[in-house]
Order: sequence, then C-alpha cells, then structure tokens
Amino acid sequence: MLAILIDGIVQGLQLSLMAVGITLIFGLGGVLNLAHGQIAVIGGIATALLLAAGLHPLLASVLGVLSAGAFGLIMDRTILVPAYRYQGEERLLLGLLITLGLSFVVNGFLDVRYPTVALTLPLPTPSFTVGAITVRTASAAVAVIALAAFALLFAFLKGTLLGKVVRSIMQNEVGAGLCGINSGRIRTLIVALSAMMAGLAGVMQGLFSSLGTELGNEFTSFALIVAVIGGVRSVNGTLVAGVLLGIVNAYASYYVGAYLTLLILLVTAAGTILVRPQGLFAFRT
Amino acid sequence: MSVLLGVAEIEVGYADIAVVRGVSLDVREGESVGVIGPNGAGKTTLFKAIAGMLGLRGGSVRYAGARIDGRRHYEIVRQGIVYVPAERELFPHMSVLENLELGAYPCYGARAERLKFVLDLFPRLRERRKQLAGTLSGGEQQMLAIGRGLMSRPRVLLLDEPSTGLAPFFVSEIYRKFAQLKSEGLTILLAEQQVPHALSFTDRAYVLENGRIRLSGNSRDLLGNAEIQRTYLGMG
Amino acid sequence: MTANRPVSGRAALSAVAVALALVPLALGGSAYYLRIATLALIFMGYTVAFNIIFGHTRQLFLCLGALAGASAYVSVVLTMKLSMSPWLTIPIGIAVAALLGGAFSYVSVRRSLGVIFVGIVTLVFSMIFHNLVLGLRDWTNGETGLETKAIAPAVLSGGLPSYYAILAVLLVALVAYHLLMRSRAGTAFQAIADDELAAELAGIDVTAYKVFAASVGSALLGAIGALHAYYGGFISPTVFALSSIDIVVLVALLLGGMGTLLGPVLGGILFTLIDELVRPLGQLNVVVYGIMIVLLVVTFRHGVVAMLGKRLKIRLP
Repeated sequence: MLAILIDGIVQGLQLSLMAVGITLIFGLGGVLNLAHGQIAVIGGIATALLLAAGLHPLLASVLGVLSAGAFGLIMDRTILVPAYRYQGEERLLLGLLITLGLSFVVNGFLDVRYPTVALTLPLPTPSFTVGAITVRTASAAVAVIALAAFALLFAFLKGTLLGKVVRSIMQNEVGAGLCGINSGRIRTLIVALSAMMAGLAGVMQGLFSSLGTELGNEFTSFALIVAVIGGVRSVNGTLVAGVLLGIVNAYASYYVGAYLTLLILLVTAAGTILVRPQGLFAFRT
Repeated sequence: MSVLLGVAEIEVGYADIAVVRGVSLDVREGESVGVIGPNGAGKTTLFKAIAGMLGLRGGSVRYAGARIDGRRHYEIVRQGIVYVPAERELFPHMSVLENLELGAYPCYGARAERLKFVLDLFPRLRERRKQLAGTLSGGEQQMLAIGRGLMSRPRVLLLDEPSTGLAPFFVSEIYRKFAQLKSEGLTILLAEQQVPHALSFTDRAYVLENGRIRLSGNSRDLLGNAEIQRTYLGMG
Repeated sequence: MTANRPVSGRAALSAVAVALALVPLALGGSAYYLRIATLALIFMGYTVAFNIIFGHTRQLFLCLGALAGASAYVSVVLTMKLSMSPWLTIPIGIAVAALLGGAFSYVSVRRSLGVIFVGIVTLVFSMIFHNLVLGLRDWTNGETGLETKAIAPAVLSGGLPSYYAILAVLLVALVAYHLLMRSRAGTAFQAIADDELAAELAGIDVTAYKVFAASVGSALLGAIGALHAYYGGFISPTVFALSSIDIVVLVALLLGGMGTLLGPVLGGILFTLIDELVRPLGQLNVVVYGIMIVLLVVTFRHGVVAMLGKRLKIRLP
C-alpha cells in the first residue's frame, strides 16, 4: 500500500517537473509550448550520447540538461520571435502552431537519426530498505532531485529580485514594462530555465526506467494535462496537480493495468477541467 | 525654464487609422501641463506614444534635448519619464510594498529612501503596505499606481486620467498630492476628463479633439474661455 | 486601385471538377500515380474538413487523424467482427466522429477558455485514441492493424472507379461547403472569426455555430476516414497518427489558404507534389513538413489562393 503511494508521489513529482516548464512559459510568454516533450527528449538523448562517449553519468546528465536549456533559448530567440510580435490570442495561436511544427521537426529528426538510442541510468544499488519498505534507489533519487529543483524554483521566485520580476511579468506584463522592466529578456531566461526543467525531467525518466525518442508526444500531453489541471499559470498548482495525478496513476496501475489507467487518468483530468476550468490554483504564483 | 519634453507634429495610429495627427506640445521643467478633451480624442494614444509604448508614424518626441521616439518603453522609464495609465496596471497578487519596490526597479538599490518618501506622501498606502494590491479600493489603487510611478525618481510624470472612477473625496485628495509634488519641482503632464480640477491645478493646457490640438494656453485663461465653459464645464 | 474581379464559386467548382476529373488521363495509366492522386483527393477531403473547423471558426482541433481513425475503426471493426455491411457501419463511424468533435467543441466553447483549451483537449484525445486502439487489441489488433481489402465495398478496391468515387465524395463536400458558406451560417462564421465578442453581442449564437461547424467538419473527417480505411486496404494507429494526417492537413491548408473554397484543393495538389519531391528523404519528410508549417505560419499565412488572386487581380473563392 505505502509502496504504491510512494511510487505515485515520485512519479507525480516527475510529472510536475515536466509540467512546470509549460506553466512558466505560458505565464510569462503567453505561449503554449507544444514542443516541450521534445525538449525533454533532447535532454535525455544528449545525456545518453554523452554517456556512450564515455563521460561520467553525472557530467553527462548535467550537460544533457544544459543542452536542453540551450535548445529552449535558441527556440525563444529565433522561431518564436514572430509570435512575440503579437499579443493575447494571436500570440497563443501562432506560438502553438510554431511549436507544433517544431515538435514534428525534432521528432522526425530524432526518430531517423537516433531510433535506437535510449537513456538508462543504472544506479549502484538498485534498492534499499527503510523500516518495512523496500525503496528503489531510483525513486529516492528522483524524489530528492525533483524536490530540490522545486525548492530552488520557489526560493528563486519568492526570494530574489529576479524572481519577483518574473512574478510581476506573469501578473501584469504591461505593468512590468511601466516599471522599466525588459520583459523580453526575462522571458528568454525563463524559457531557457523551463527547457532545463524539461531536460531534467527527461534525464530522470532515464533514471526511473528508460527514455527513447518516441516519448516526446506523450511527455508533452502529460505536461499539458498537469499544467492545465493545476491552473495553467500557477507553479504551486502544477506541483500539486502533478503529485495528485501521479498518485492516481500509481493506484490505478496497480489495480487496473496500464491502458485503463491511462483512461482513468485522462478522464480524471477531463473531469477536473470541466468542474474547475481555471485549474486547482486559479491564480497564485 | 527650458523645454524638457517636446512633442513635434506627431502622428500615431492603429492599422489604417490615424488617431493623433500633427500634435505638438511642450512641457518645460517644473511645469504642470494639462491635456483635456473628450473621450476618444486621443489623449491616451498621445501619452502612450510619448512613453514609447506606441510607434510614431511621423514627427518626433524630444526629451532633455535628445530624440526618444523609437526607444523601447522600458528604456524611456529608465531615462526618467514614467507613465501612469488610467488602468493602473498593478500587480494584483503582490502587496502594496512589493508593487512599490518594483517601481524602483531602475534604481533598486536605493529604494529604501524613495519608499519613505512615497509612503509619507500617501499615508494610506503605509497603513495597507502588506495588503494585496488587487484587494485595494479604487482610490487606493490609483494612489498605489502613482506611488509606484514615483519610486524611480522620474523627472517627468505622465498621468492619464487619474481621477477615473474615483469618488470626489479621493479626487480632491490626489490633486492635493499632485500640488505637493509640483511644489517640489516635478514636471507633470496630465490628461483629464475632469476639466475643473485639471485646469485649476495645471499652469498651461492643451485641448485635444479628434486627434488634433484645438486650443492651448494658460489654464486660467482657458477656464475663462467661453467655448471651454460651454463644452466642458456645462455652463452657458 | 481597382477592386479585384470576383470569380464565382460555381465557376471555381466547375473548374476544379473538370480539372480533377481529367487528372487520370495525364497519368499515363500508371497505377502508382493513380494511387497517389486518389490519396491526394482523400487528403483534400481532410483539409476541407479542417478548413471548416479551424479556417472558419478558429477551433484548433489537433486530433484530425484520431477523429478520422475513430470513424474508420468503428466502421471496420463492426464490419469485421459483427459482419455488418460497410454501408451501414460507415454512417455509424461518421456519427461517432461527429459526436466526438461536437462534444469537444461544446465543452470548450461553453467554458470559453479559448484556443488553448480546444488544442489541449484534442491533443489529449489523440493520445487517448492511440492508446485505446493499442489497448483494445482483441478488437483492433493493436499496432499491427487490420486489413480491409476483404471487406471493402467493391467501388473502393482500387483503380479508376475508386478515384472517381472518391472524387465524387470530395466534390459533394466542396459543394456542401460552398452552399454552407453562402448561407446564414457562413456569414455567422465570418463574424465569429472576425470578432467573437462582437458577434455574440450582435445576437449570433456563437456556441451553436461553433459546435455546428465542429460537428460538420468532424462528420466529414469521419466520412473521409472511412474512405481512407477501405481504399487504403489497411488501418493501424500509425495510419491515423498526428504525424500522418494532422501534419499533412496543416501544411496543405496553410499552403492553400485558410477560409477559402479552393485552398484545400490547391493546397492538396501542392502538398502532393512536394511529398513526391521529398520521397527520397524517407522518414525525414516529417522534418520538412514541420519546417514548412513554421515558415507558412510565420510568413505565408494567407496561402496560394490569396497570392494567385493578387497576381491575377481576381478574387478567388
């Protein structure tokens, strides 16, 4: 029982990590990034390639995450520029279509170039026992890393000037401009940060089980669901929503099996969205 | 007194429509100048153009001798022109204090002293400094917007219809604060529909109608102008 | 500046009908090219459907393949497993697609959450569809898919009859589109696309029209999906995947011109030509299409129809 709960929480944390990038980019840039899953895959595949080249797992992972971040940065500064010229729904639509096109490009390229590359990060000790429960080391590692990442993110948003600036842009981009804030530059920073979070989630998938190029679309879909349920602009909400969904997923998988679980998950998601469309945390960054 | 802010024959528009045409105005250092006119005359468009939020189709905007049209709006803030829009554009989920502090972004390190100045000017804000901006009343929000604008030590303050939606009591109160700021040497450009207040407070004023300047002159003279009295003061 | 001379819808439709009818004659009897041409007609049909849903009422449905596939699978499975006639199961499939599409639209419009909501819901539906097909492998044979040659209606089994049968369906769809756009619904669509709030205030029942557009478009997707299933001889999750159908429709509609009558047709033709050109690239063709989508969305948004119209000083429908 408890083991399932723990597993659910861990999976949930990973989902939240995937989704928080979507929340940040949407809240700050007004763009829904449909290539988000592909960025996670890029992080994972880069790590796998570096591992194969002989690098130490830790170094490979860090570089993999950084390369995901770099990709996000380039994306923001190049193909998204036309979208940023517009506001509101125009920008949203344009951004959606551009990132959708990008997702096809990345997916297609990775499918052809690295069809068999998969990232798996084995750990020295597969599991350890705490009291009466056996815990997978991978689960513990993922939980610790995800929690640390979120803790850092919250500390950044609440505690630093830059974080406050980010929150201000998310709450009122015009108001931020009136204070002399260059929201475009901050946005690029956040997009890069979000991409790194995605890359980190991708690498962690390699810790958990394995990550291959085909997981891109699935990642994006899950990230979108979690982000929308949590309230598509709220970082708190994303964290909570991810963990909740992770728990639902874990219990459903145990009792009902993989495919039906997915359906249950999606129906839960649909239900939440119908009942409370603005998300669980409407607007509390 | 030299001209601090000079607008020369500017044209501003959206898509195919020109909203402001051939508008020129001057604001000298330390002056308070008003822009009055009916709804849709183009006052907000004019202010946004000066603040760099809209591009010019023609003409120029000069500040302290140099052209600033074409500069990005956040650069213009750093240069010392702060725009306070009618919609206020506050950060609703941040406290009064956080809103004010962000107003000091261009000179963040020195914000403590400026904060004291603004809170002394608006004691109500000091009382509510921990309160979330979204929960303030209309009048308090307006004060916060103005206070936030003052935090970066602007040389020119562009106030767009500050009396919008405020009870008469609040309107008098903020105009008292404007007088105080004026006496301390702040240059103010003020757009208003509440003509009596605007004309009693400012030194000079321009009348904007349909995107063009129709009249200008000393505020006192304009107050006595028959046409102004008929159109804007409901007399005669 | 002289106004461009408008070309009537009827004239355009006639030209299209004649041109497409003559295509097989230009193919020199090659069965390979005939198949490509027939598939092009099918994708034109998909594009007409998306044009109604997105081009006219701005509902970004990212589940075109899934809706077509839902109809296809329902029809094929019912025909195969329950030995029903395809002429019975095809309408059932169409109804399923129409209901789903209408439901997505209704839910999104009522909650007035805008473009992202519809996009997310439909994208997630694509995932649901894919996994449902894999999960119900007793019925659907999972990833391997089902052969439809044995159960297909004779007219869809290949060659010239199939081409003309599918062309007939496409022309019916285009005529229906034309009549729809000339009706009150068409004016409503235009108003909604221009400014939804203003349309609402003007008394237009935005919800009803959007759901209507989505349902009609989805029904068409279902119909073409069924044709695709039986003509193609084979269905699998991959046939109806995002990267098989949605990407093609996006490129074709953006190329051709959204919100126009000829857009889907011209876009479909151009796409087919490009598809043949990039065939040597194999699976990398998806990369080319992704790049095209980005470029088209950013630069060439109004499509070939608008461009041709400008050059020839006419207004093409």
